[in-house]
Amino acid sequence: MAADLEYTSFELMAVTGARELKDGEIVAVGLGLPVVASFLAKRTHAPNLTILLELGVVDPEPIDIGSGLSDPRFWYRAKMHTSFADMLGMVLHKGLVDVGFLGGLEVDAYGNLNTTQLGDPKGKFRRFTGSGGGNDLASCARRTVIIIRHDSRKLKEAVSFITSPGYLRGNGERASVGLTGGPARVITDKAVFGFDPESKRMMLQAIHPNTTLEDVLSNMAFEPIVPSDVVVTEPPTAEQLRLIREEIDPDRLYAGS
Amino acid sequence: MSKLTTLSEAVASIPTGSHVALSGFATARCAMAFAHETIRQGTNRLTVSQCVAGIEADMLVGAGAVERIVYGGGSRGRSGQHHCICRAIEQGILITEELSSLSMTFRNLAGALGLPFIPIRSLNGSDILNQLMQLNPPVVGRVTDPFTGDEWLVLKPLIPDVAVIQVQVADEEGNAWILGPRWDNEEQAKASKRTVVITERLVSTEAIRRAPEQTVIPGFRVSHVVHLPFAAHPSSVYGVYDFDEEHIALYADASKTPQGFQGYLDNYVYGVKDHWGYMELVGGMSRMKDLEADPVLGY
Repeated sequence: MAADLEYTSFELMAVTGARELKDGEIVAVGLGLPVVASFLAKRTHAPNLTILLELGVVDPEPIDIGSGLSDPRFWYRAKMHTSFADMLGMVLHKGLVDVGFLGGLEVDAYGNLNTTQLGDPKGKFRRFTGSGGGNDLASCARRTVIIIRHDSRKLKEAVSFITSPGYLRGNGERASVGLTGGPARVITDKAVFGFDPESKRMMLQAIHPNTTLEDVLSNMAFEPIVPSDVVVTEPPTAEQLRLIREEIDPDRLYAGS
Repeated sequence: MSKLTTLSEAVASIPTGSHVALSGFATARCAMAFAHETIRQGTNRLTVSQCVAGIEADMLVGAGAVERIVYGGGSRGRSGQHHCICRAIEQGILITEELSSLSMTFRNLAGALGLPFIPIRSLNGSDILNQLMQLNPPVVGRVTDPFTGDEWLVLKPLIPDVAVIQVQVADEEGNAWILGPRWDNEEQAKASKRTVVITERLVSTEAIRRAPEQTVIPGFRVSHVVHLPFAAHPSSVYGVYDFDEEHIALYADASKTPQGFQGYLDNYVYGVKDHWGYMELVGGMSRMKDLEADPVLGY
């Protein structure tokens, strides 16, 4: 039955992201796919999810999904309007955020993220967004979920600039700089990855339907750990697709991209 | 005491070389009219601090008014990067003290509380910290927790010379309401030596006294009050007006090149005498009516 459904890779990633969230958890979101994933989780298996926006919004129920954190469409019907000091300080820094979604220019084999610049930091480089709340989520959330396009220019052995730390160079290095938590999952448009419990190197977990292992590996600039029990990503259900298309993002502001 | 004044006088009170904390976040409550007037008056060598960069910071950087930026990064969201800031960093012509949203907030909070430093979990293990460690005089350090013996990263407080905060409602004394999410505006205002309030609506002190729980910045911290409707255009002011998507797209496009940005300044900043001239140029009352917020939606 599910095999008959047509869906985009965005929709599959959003559904996969939603599955990472458990009922009763606190999630911090920013722009794009994580927003769709979080609202989808809340309308399905996680009705008691608390959604936070770093600039000071608790549990909004937008009717227009908006163009980003600073768009007041995204703040509609919130339970509280507050501040960075509250959201990122008294909630995140205190250790109460369960999941933070992160995206970036490039991620490496140990889940370190670069959202700052591409090129040689001491020579010629192109500058991008920088951290915003990204570094804070990567440092203080109980776990993070990284969403990134599956491309060998984006999946690197080592990133050129660590904006948001993952497991640094692996094996306990994250703990040695005083950080707990860390990336739990990496979701791309071809696969889902976790991290090896010991080495903390990225480990393939699932391959999306209609994709091959070769396609996944040949579009990465490093070799992830490939265990023998790699599964196929569970496709979206008809109800999940209906919610995304009709209720969460009816104008295809995100899902169309 | 009334502190009501003109935008021109409020800007003139800020000397060249000052450290100015700005209230915008991407495309929300950006102090645009303030940026325009600062550029027209030629105030420069500013240090600008902001948690997440807004378009007013981008414009001030593009116009060459800023020597140093202290910020947590940022973009306009879906409409793209702050081209002027990115270009200035790439060209090495902007001194950059780059942090994250929370570390900026903590530095303002430490400034507001009068603390000598503030510990933080963020930044550890990152290249953001590696860059900050190169700065002289230092802005980061390490201390040992006297209770547990743990080592902590600590940040230097921010104490801006002036905070310029775009608000919805204020009275002549500067008692100001910020409606909707307020990111780090309260900490910025309270860390700063003084605050300039730019308000959409001017009300009596009696009106403030009837809903004092909405006051975020009390008048005693405020040096100047400027009453100027649509002073954040093309950014949004929650509950008052929406962001102007078309004008932001126009700015985004123009600011992609130095020539395009100069053309924008010549037209919309240098080409007009004041905020009213700018308002006329961007569509006047009829355009502003379109942007007016619905009281239920807030946008």
